[in-house]
Amino acid sequence: MNATKKLTLTEPELVSALQSKDPKVLKVLYSMYSASLYGVISRIITHTELAEDVLQETFVKIWQSASNYDNNKGRLFTWMMNIARNLSIDKLRSKDFKNSQKNQDIENNVSFVDEQNKVTFNPDILGVKQLVEGLKPDLQAVLNLVYYKGFTHVEAAEELNLPLGTVKTRIRLAIIELRKYFN
Amino acid sequence: MENIKAYIESGVLELYVLGDLSPEESAQVEQMASQHPEVKQEIVAIEKAMEQYAVQNPVEPSAEVETKLFEKLGLKVDDVDTQATDVKSTAQEPKIVKLDPNHGKLRSLKFALVACVALLVMSTVALFSVYNQLNDAHDQIASLNTDKQKFAGVVSHLEFENKGLENVAAMADSKEWATIRMQGQAYSPKSSMKLYWNKTDKSVLINYVAMDLPKADAQHEYQLWALVNGKPVSLGMFGKQDSTSNEAILKMQTIDRAQAFAVTLEPMGGSTNPTMDKLTVMGGV
Repeated sequence: MNATKKLTLTEPELVSALQSKDPKVLKVLYSMYSASLYGVISRIITHTELAEDVLQETFVKIWQSASNYDNNKGRLFTWMMNIARNLSIDKLRSKDFKNSQKNQDIENNVSFVDEQNKVTFNPDILGVKQLVEGLKPDLQAVLNLVYYKGFTHVEAAEELNLPLGTVKTRIRLAIIELRKYFN
Repeated sequence: MENIKAYIESGVLELYVLGDLSPEESAQVEQMASQHPEVKQEIVAIEKAMEQYAVQNPVEPSAEVETKLFEKLGLKVDDVDTQATDVKSTAQEPKIVKLDPNHGKLRSLKFALVACVALLVMSTVALFSVYNQLNDAHDQIASLNTDKQKFAGVVSHLEFENKGLENVAAMADSKEWATIRMQGQAYSPKSSMKLYWNKTDKSVLINYVAMDLPKADAQHEYQLWALVNGKPVSLGMFGKQDSTSNEAILKMQTIDRAQAFAVTLEPMGGSTNPTMDKLTVMGGV
């Protein structure tokens, strides 16, 4: 992250400004977190236009339901990320998304596929990707489903044909690997 | 404590952070977190890991998403843009605000406008003062012109008088002119007068300057006579010189021959024969 190009505030400052509905804070919040949240969204929804719609809806919801955020229950980013994930999963399951998947013209397919795979190249990502790819395959599969595909652990258990407890354990082990890397 | 450890290791906290629990299960986790600091710490660690994972895997959305977002919420992007640094003054981390390329331009345009207005005001004041000075100058020129005309009049009068006096002086010296001195007679013994007679063209001039006659009243004027073979011939009338007259020299009628000249006081318009008891001056050639 190139922090000098972004508008940044500390989390308590963000929270108090957000809850007092200061319009300036939305700009700061967007500057700080839009790319991170869009990273989460675009891994769940690969269609650029729909993913950007979800990003917009995410910030609208953050803005409108800021008063619901309680910092005793967790970090601001976790709250925002879960809004983004939930809206993404809702979109993925909506008629809107299913129609858009059917309506792709053959002529547009090449550019569409290209757009879907368009990712900002960030040197830091390379390390993370290697880390995720370096996870044991069974941990990686669970993390992909739950984190990228927006599956619940129940759905992931069905998908992988595993007991619920095993899925839970694998999610935990995968996150512990991430924690070792980041903390 | 074993229970707490088992609880943490069950993986429920990860699901909690991922938002994958029912509201009841979430409430249970929150209650556990409030009672057990270890649980709280574990949740924070998971959150930070997930957050870092997201923060370090960013994908830049297209710029129009932000524009659309602010439009949708009815917030003005530009206002926010320029004032973003004001949000909560105590921020520790560096805040960089996008430079607005039009900002400087607008500033210099504002300065230019102020300069233009100032220049306009100065020009107007200068123009007004120059206009006043021009009016003053016009008045001065007019009054100088009046003076000049007055002086020109005086100069031409002086030139004329000078010429007349030069003529008199020249006549007195010249042999061409004869000067006849006329003496006071019984009517006015103290009077005297000179007369100039040109021998060549026979013209007769009198000079007011060289004249000492009593002042004539309004009903009378002087008449000049020439005595030719004992008979008086009128050479014309002349009055006492008044102040408005420019004439110094007066030309009378010419006479070919004369033995003497005389002046009588006659009623206005002159007489055919001289009134002898009013004979003022007389002199022989």
